[in-house]
Amino acid sequence: MNRVKKKSNKKAVDFMLLIAITMLVFIGIIMVFSASWPVGMSEENDGYYFLKRQIIWSAMGFLGLFIAMNFDYRKLKKWAPYIFFLSIILGLLVFTPMGAEIKGARRWLDIGPIRIMPSDAIKFGSVVFFAKFLANKRENIDTVFQGTLPALIYIGLACGVIIQEDLGTGGTIAITMMAMFFVGGMNILHMAPLGVGAAGVFYLAINDPDSSYRLARITAFIDPFADKLDTGWQLVQSLYSLGSGGVFGLGLGKSRQKFFYLSEAYNDFIFAIIGEELGLVGTVIVILLFLIVIWRGIIIALKTEDLFGCFLATGITALIAVQSLIHIAVVTSSMPTTGITLPFVSYGGTSLVMFMTLVGILLNISRNVNFERS
Amino acid sequence: MKESNKIVKKRLKITLGLSFFIVFALILRLGNIQIFRNHELKKGALEQWTKSIDIRAKRGTIYDRRGKKLAISVNSFTVWATPADIKESKKTAETVSSILQLEEDEVYKKLVSNQSTQKIKQWITREEANELRKLKLRGITIVEDNKRYYPNGNFASYILGFTDIDNNGLDGIEYVYNDYLTGRPGKWMKMTDGANRQLPYDGEKVHDPEDGSSLVLTIDETIQHFAEKAAEKALLDTKAKGVSVIMMEIETGEILSLVNKPDFDPNSPREPVDENLKKQWDKLPAEEVQKKWFDLWRNFTINDIYEPGSTFKLITAAAALEENSANLDTHYYCKGTIKIQGRTLKCANWYNPHGDQTFRDAVNNSCNVAFVNMGLNLGRDNLYKYTKAFGFGEKTGVDLLGEQAGIIPNNVENIKEINLATLSYGHSIAVTPMQLVTAVSAIANGGDLLKPKLVKQILNSEGDVIKEFKSETVRKVISKETSDTMLSLMETVVSEGSGSKAYIPGYKVGGKTGTAQKIIDGRYKQGKYIGSFISVAPIDDPKIAMLVVVDEPSGTYYGGSVAAPVAKSIFEDTFNYLEIPPKFTKEEKEEIEELVKVPDVRNKKIGEAGKILMELGLKHTTEYLELTDESIILDQFPLPGVEIKKGSVIDLFIDFKPNEEIVMPFLTDKKKEEIIKILDEMNLKYEFKGQGKSVLQSPLPGEKINFNTKVIVEFK
Repeated sequence: MNRVKKKSNKKAVDFMLLIAITMLVFIGIIMVFSASWPVGMSEENDGYYFLKRQIIWSAMGFLGLFIAMNFDYRKLKKWAPYIFFLSIILGLLVFTPMGAEIKGARRWLDIGPIRIMPSDAIKFGSVVFFAKFLANKRENIDTVFQGTLPALIYIGLACGVIIQEDLGTGGTIAITMMAMFFVGGMNILHMAPLGVGAAGVFYLAINDPDSSYRLARITAFIDPFADKLDTGWQLVQSLYSLGSGGVFGLGLGKSRQKFFYLSEAYNDFIFAIIGEELGLVGTVIVILLFLIVIWRGIIIALKTEDLFGCFLATGITALIAVQSLIHIAVVTSSMPTTGITLPFVSYGGTSLVMFMTLVGILLNISRNVNFERS
Repeated sequence: MKESNKIVKKRLKITLGLSFFIVFALILRLGNIQIFRNHELKKGALEQWTKSIDIRAKRGTIYDRRGKKLAISVNSFTVWATPADIKESKKTAETVSSILQLEEDEVYKKLVSNQSTQKIKQWITREEANELRKLKLRGITIVEDNKRYYPNGNFASYILGFTDIDNNGLDGIEYVYNDYLTGRPGKWMKMTDGANRQLPYDGEKVHDPEDGSSLVLTIDETIQHFAEKAAEKALLDTKAKGVSVIMMEIETGEILSLVNKPDFDPNSPREPVDENLKKQWDKLPAEEVQKKWFDLWRNFTINDIYEPGSTFKLITAAAALEENSANLDTHYYCKGTIKIQGRTLKCANWYNPHGDQTFRDAVNNSCNVAFVNMGLNLGRDNLYKYTKAFGFGEKTGVDLLGEQAGIIPNNVENIKEINLATLSYGHSIAVTPMQLVTAVSAIANGGDLLKPKLVKQILNSEGDVIKEFKSETVRKVISKETSDTMLSLMETVVSEGSGSKAYIPGYKVGGKTGTAQKIIDGRYKQGKYIGSFISVAPIDDPKIAMLVVVDEPSGTYYGGSVAAPVAKSIFEDTFNYLEIPPKFTKEEKEEIEELVKVPDVRNKKIGEAGKILMELGLKHTTEYLELTDESIILDQFPLPGVEIKKGSVIDLFIDFKPNEEIVMPFLTDKKKEEIIKILDEMNLKYEFKGQGKSVLQSPLPGEKINFNTKVIVEFK
């Protein structure tokens, strides 16, 4: 590896990453507008309702991105435990009267005029905190009491708060942190009993006669058409969207599935609407943009000499990768259904701001990296 | 870089590789969905977006020959569900089932089915439709529909047939002309969103249905009505199992009416018309009820065969006249029985033989023995030829379902002498009523066997004629001359013979009665008869042939008693309706004016009674032909004291004893062999003088003799 001596703190950010994220955010604005039009018209009597909000959130996201980009991430290391602690508190607040229930799930907190998802805060907090933990324990991470045990406790703490109400997000956080742990030097042998335990729990869950419905939901993705009207409904609708889009799509704005066939068309199933309107061309472009983000993120992590920076970059990239790939896998009926948004693209206030801020941090880390090509 | 950090970098690269792999797999998955499954999924999506509901074409109307509507389509409403749009299936099922009075479970099953549309209930009332519409239930649509309606109820049921719930013809004309009547259904398609509202992109498309063609039948509603009324009355009067009537236009083969009683209402063909019977059926198991349906739908006039009996003698007579093996001057001798191949065939009243008869007498008397001789003279080849030529043993081709061909001998070789003999008077053959009426129409119309017709025209939905059915001659069977002779013979059967109950003053009705024992499971069934009367009118300008068949009447079963009055009643109504003016003879004119009181002739000798009645200007008839003047009358109808028109017929019921005396047959101008045969059969002694043809006989023909008399015949 060539080493170029740092000349100043203000190096250029990873331009390709910034471009990819910007494109995703703009695709998001357009697609949210298109996908939300019918709901906007019917529920708010304003087809632009979600567009206006998405633009505002995007603006706030870019603000967060630029602030973070210019804010030395290393300062986060000091604050990491407090951020984590605060985010867990927010997560627990959901169960107080401050929590808001929408469509049968308590996932939101009403703070003044805005409604936030504490899970976004927990995502942010756990990535930052876990990066610090991994950096501090780098040398002893492969031991049980210094490494594996506390790591698993933190993971359990982070996702345990929300996994009850939001399996998808809880899982996303768990996988993200496991990925960070893996990169951070997890002792794979320690994972073996954990794997056996998980398999056991899974076996019991499957054979529990009381929850055959849960099992049906989990396995619906294998053949969603088998129970088209119930457990398979969303998946079938999603496949209809993608399938009828074909290679070139029906044309921007021309989705029919967004007309109340797919619920959460601008949210959990936005990728399906992209497939329907822009075809395979659109879906592959979006996937490739995410691939660029993942690739650049990991490159940044690889090139960062600072361990905290490395693990933070890993965590941010993993979070983006896990959530976006789960979203796409769900929409393409490749894994069990769980409602999860597509980062940067789906409609979604605090989530968008949080992700863009995280990307700002990632960009800030990239500033301290010497790329061979630059 | 520290050694330990190498693990980090290695694992970061693994992670990057894994990410690439997952992304690659997802792209493949997307390619599979968006390229390879594109067609299939698009189809599924289109099906879901497109709500298409069949708009049923209006089924064509069925008219009678004068344009009266016999079967029409009326507007109705049908409820459809699009299960994909229904989220609250349970609740919707509850609401819908309570309004439409359906089983909730059944409705629920339909609402959660895997079909794009499901019919919930057909033909709901306007009130129900309005109530449902008000609720605006998601996924429930009400479509205007049409329903078959037969305004006359149980009327011409066996001609019209009926339709199923989907307006497909199941029987009768509805079935045979289903393709014409159905039309082409239309479709109402619209692109809808998940909430069943119309999508902004694609408008709704309506493919208009093409209404079915209409039919103009040969039936005359009024005449059909007369026939229905008379048959219904006969059914009650005779307590018969069934009464059937067919009327055919002689010149064209067009069927003017066709009735079977009891019948059904094509509006609800699965319920008997009779209320009591309906209650009985309700108690039967489903399988048996189904059997009852099929029995009810049997069209006796074409689906069933029966032994025609004496009505078939018209065929024998026509054949004999046409082949010149007999003529009006031919005499036949009846001694009550005739021995053929060791079997003794009897005349209907063998105990009181007809004796010597002319051809006309033989027909009037319906003498079996005479017809056996007529048949034997005609020969089996000829009789078989005419039986076939008149259409027996083959379907007439009438446009109805399930026509039978009847049973005739397979080929000439199978006809033994005994078969020939019985065939001559209509036994050992089975025909459908339709065949017989078609054959007799041929006898009456100058000899053309016609294909019976029920449909005159097919009209398109605008009412223009698109198809016209011309009358079709199957073949020429007999000459005009024979036809004329047969008409005159048939006339005397009514004016003088066994068909007298069909006599209508002012009109010349010709006919022939028939009475046959029923054959059930291949055997003659004791006590079960079919009485029939085939008739043609008016004789001087034949227009209508009519067959009346009374199946299993209780009590009197002779065709002349049970069937002829039905024909008379229908003819009277029909002549009046068709405005055919009566042409009274002088005597008729006198008779018609006056009413007379019926005298009491019971316990009188028939000779005496006949005189009394004749003096009053009344006619009389007995079940039994050729009675002696000594026969005692047991009962009469109408009863004494009733006022009736002059010229009316009084039924006399006779207590009769076989006559001890026999009448000397006509023996002159015959060969010796013939005379020997006649006298042998009569068990008479005889003596012959000379050779050649007989010129003189003793005693003279018609003289009363007893069995000891020796007959002397001289030949020259």
